[in-house]
Amino acid sequence: MEKPIVSMRNIVKRFPGVVANDHIDLDVFKGEVLALLGENGAGKTTLMNILYGLYRADEGEIYIDGKKVYFKSPKDAITHGIGMVHQQFMLIDELSVVENIILGLKEYGLVLDLKEAVKKINKLAREMGFKIDPWQKVWQLSAGEKQRVEILKAIFRNVKVLILDEPTSVLTPQETRELFKIIKKLIANNIAVIFISHKLHEVMEIADKIVVLRKGKVVGKLSREQATPQLLAKLMVGREVFLEITKRPKKPGHVVLEVKNLKALSDKGVLALKGISFKVRAGEIVGIAGVAGNGQKELAEVIYGLRKPLEGKIYLFGKDITHKDIYERIRIGISLIPENRLGLGIVGEFSVAENLILERIDEQPFSLNIPLLSRLNIKKINEQMLLKYSRELIEKFSIVTPSPFAKARTLSGGNIQRLILARELGRKPGFIIAEEPTAGLDVSATEYVRKLLLEMREQGYSILLISGDLSEVLSLSDKVMVMYEGEIVGAFRPEKVSLDDVGLMMTGMKRLPKEVIKKIWD
Amino acid sequence: MGLEIKFTERELHPIMYIIVPLGAFSLAFLCGGILMSWASVNPISGYEAFISGAIGSPVKFADTLVRTTSFLLMGVGLAFALRARVFNIGAEGQYIMGAIAGTWVALLLQENLPASITIIVSLIMAMIIGGLWAGFAGYLKATLGINEVVLTVIMNWLAFKLLQWLLRGPLKNPLSEMWPMSPPIQAKIPVIIPGTRLHLGFILAVLIAIGGYFLMFKTNYGFKLRVAGMNPDAAKYAGYDVRKIIISSMILSGSLAGLAGAIEVLAVYHFLYEGISIGLGYTSIIVALVGKLHPLAIIPSALMFGALYNGVVYLQSALGVSYTLSKAMEGMIYLFVLISEVFLKYKVRIIRR
Repeated sequence: MEKPIVSMRNIVKRFPGVVANDHIDLDVFKGEVLALLGENGAGKTTLMNILYGLYRADEGEIYIDGKKVYFKSPKDAITHGIGMVHQQFMLIDELSVVENIILGLKEYGLVLDLKEAVKKINKLAREMGFKIDPWQKVWQLSAGEKQRVEILKAIFRNVKVLILDEPTSVLTPQETRELFKIIKKLIANNIAVIFISHKLHEVMEIADKIVVLRKGKVVGKLSREQATPQLLAKLMVGREVFLEITKRPKKPGHVVLEVKNLKALSDKGVLALKGISFKVRAGEIVGIAGVAGNGQKELAEVIYGLRKPLEGKIYLFGKDITHKDIYERIRIGISLIPENRLGLGIVGEFSVAENLILERIDEQPFSLNIPLLSRLNIKKINEQMLLKYSRELIEKFSIVTPSPFAKARTLSGGNIQRLILARELGRKPGFIIAEEPTAGLDVSATEYVRKLLLEMREQGYSILLISGDLSEVLSLSDKVMVMYEGEIVGAFRPEKVSLDDVGLMMTGMKRLPKEVIKKIWD
Repeated sequence: MGLEIKFTERELHPIMYIIVPLGAFSLAFLCGGILMSWASVNPISGYEAFISGAIGSPVKFADTLVRTTSFLLMGVGLAFALRARVFNIGAEGQYIMGAIAGTWVALLLQENLPASITIIVSLIMAMIIGGLWAGFAGYLKATLGINEVVLTVIMNWLAFKLLQWLLRGPLKNPLSEMWPMSPPIQAKIPVIIPGTRLHLGFILAVLIAIGGYFLMFKTNYGFKLRVAGMNPDAAKYAGYDVRKIIISSMILSGSLAGLAGAIEVLAVYHFLYEGISIGLGYTSIIVALVGKLHPLAIIPSALMFGALYNGVVYLQSALGVSYTLSKAMEGMIYLFVLISEVFLKYKVRIIRR
C-alpha cells in the first residue's frame, strides 16, 4: 500500500476549558483530496494550524514521508512542503501579485528579478488552467482571484500538501466551480489537498476521502463511495441528547417582532441575508440553528441596528424600526446579549456599577436635570441611585464581584455574562436577542443562563436565540429556524423534526418548502 | 543573541505619577546642564536664572500664572477631545482663531460699549469661532472619516497664514509701519494683583478646569464621552451617537483654546501680533497628557509647564543663552516627560535571548 505523505498521530490540543483536538489520527496521501468535515468548533482549523506550525500540539507526533518532524513555526512547515490558504487572505493589498508571491523567499533576497518570477508565475498559472496578471495590485483583485494568488504562492514554494480552510466561504458559485477545477489540477500534479468545509454538497463533490470531526474527535473516516449526505450529516451533528429542561407549554401571544424580506451585506460585501422573514411572539423563544457564518450574526446586527439593511422591514411592537437608531430601538424595547462580550458588551475600564447603567445613563432617575444644561442633554449623574440600582442587580443576578466599583474587566467570563444579562434584562426590554449566550461559559454559568432565558419566556418576554449549540437551540426554543447561506431553509417546532433532517438543513442538503416555513409563523 | 524590549501594562501607586515626571525633569535638567556647559554657560548660574525666572519674585510668579492660564484652558479642552479618542493637534490654530475673533470684536465694540461688555462679547465670540474651527475638523472626521491629525495640523497653518494676512490687511495698525500688528485694544481684562500682570483670566481658567472636571466625571455627557473613547463599539451598541460625541468634544476643545487666545490678547498684550502663539497649542498637548487628561490634575501640570516656559525665557535673556539653545532645552524636557509616560504606563524590561 502507498505510504501517506503526512501522518498525524494522537494529536491533542487543549485550550482553556476545551479540548480542541482529542487524540486525532490523520493520514494524507499524494494526489488525493481529503475533506475535513465538521461544525464550527469541531477542531478542524486547530488541527490544520498544528500541521501548518501555527500551534504546537500538546501531545502527538507528525510524520512527513515517514519521518518525524517538529514545526516551530509556519516557516518549518513550508520548508517541508506544507502550504495553507487561510480564510482571511494573508496578502499585502498595496503590493502586486508577483511581489506577494515572492515575498520572503530567500533567493529573491538582494536583487529582485521580478521579470523572471513573472515568467514562472505565468507558466504555473497556465498549468493550473487560469489567468492572472502578475503586475496587478492585490487590492484590485476579487476574492476568488486573491485565493488563486494564495494557491500560486504555495505552488511557487513547491508545496506537497495544500490546506484550504473553508475556501468557498468567500466565493460566488461560479468561482467555486473554478476552484474545484484548480483542485483537480493540483491533485493531477500529485499534490495532496486538505479541504476544510462544513458544506456537505461540496465535500461530496470534490473529496476522495472524508474525515468527520465532532467536538475535537474523529467520528468518521469514509471514502467518497461510502458517504451519503444523510450519513455525513448524522456524523457531523451527532446524536445530541435533548437537555433536561422542563419547559412548560405556553400559548404564544401577540407578535412582538416581525421581520419582512430582510437583505443585508456582510463586512466582506457579500450578500449575507437574502430575504429573511419571520415573527417572534410574546412569551416565545425562537431559535436559529445553523453553522456559524451563515448570516446569523448579520441578522442579529440588523435587527438591533448595528448594521444597515439593504432591503426589507423590521417591526417591533408594531412600530417600523427599520430606520430608527439604536437609541430609539432600545427605548422601544430591544436588547442584545452580544456574542462579543468583551468587545461590545462591556467597557472594561469602567466599574461594574457604571457598566450596569451603560444604556440608561441619560434616563431619570440615574441622571438629574441641571438648569440650562439639560437642554443640551447634559445632566448630573445621580451616583447614589446608580449605586443602589447596581447593588440590586448584582444581588438579583448573583454577580460575583468584590464591589460595584471593581473594573468590569477584572470579572470572570461567567460573571461578565451575568453583568451583561443583568444590564439587559434589568431594563425589561420586551424583546431580547441572545447571541451565543452560553458560548465559552462553564457548566454552572451555562445552566444559569438557560434557566434565566426560560424564566424570561415565562414572564412573557420574546427571545430570539442564536446559538451554535444545536441541543441548546432545540431544547430551549418553541420554534426553530435553520439558516444556511443567508436564507431560512427550514422552520419547525423542535419536537416535530428529526435530528438527521436538521443536520441536512444546516449543511444545505435539505430545504423545507416555502409554504411550510411560512405557516410556522402564523 | 538578541535583545528584546518587552512592555507589560501595569498599575502604579498614585505617588509615582508625581515622582516619575519629577525624575524626568531632573534628567532633562542634567542633560540641559551638559548642553549649557558645552555652550560655555555655567549650568549652576543657568539654573539659578531658570528658577528665578519661574518663581523668583511675586511679579515673576504672577507671570508664570499668566502663562499657566493658556496652558490650563487648552489642556482642559484637549482632555475632552483626547478622551473621546479624537487626536486634536489643532489647539494652536484654534487659539489663533480665538485671538483673531476676540481682537476683531473688541476693536469693533470698544468705541461704543463699556469695556466689560466688550470683553464678555469678545470672549464669547472667540469661543464660538475656536469651537467652529475645531468642530469643522471634528465634523469631517465623524462623517467622512478624515484623519483628524492631518486635518488639524493643516488647519493650524491655515490659521497662522490667516493671522499674517489679517495683520497686513484688515486688522493692520496704520501707525505701525514696520511691525505687523493690530490697533491697540482698550477693553482690557482687569489685573487682580496690582503691580503684576496676573489677570482675572487666571481665575476663570481655574473655574473652567473645575467645571471641566464636573462635566467629565459627574455628568452623563462625560460618561458617554469616556465610553466612546475607550470602546467605540460598546458606545454604539449602547445607543450613543458617537459622531455627536466626536464633534462636540472638538467644539469644546476648540472653544477653550479660542478663549485662551482671546484672553491672551485682551489681558496680556492688548493687541494682536504674529507671535501671539509660538507653539503654545502644541505644548498644551503635553500639558494635557501629563495631567492624565484629568481636568483637575491638569492644573498642576499647567503650572509646571508655565514655570518651565517662563524659566527658559528668563534664562535666555538673563544669561544671553541663545534662543535655539533655550528652545532645545525646553524640547528636551518635553521629550523626557513623554518618555516617562511610557514608564508610567508599562513595565519595561529588556530581555536578552
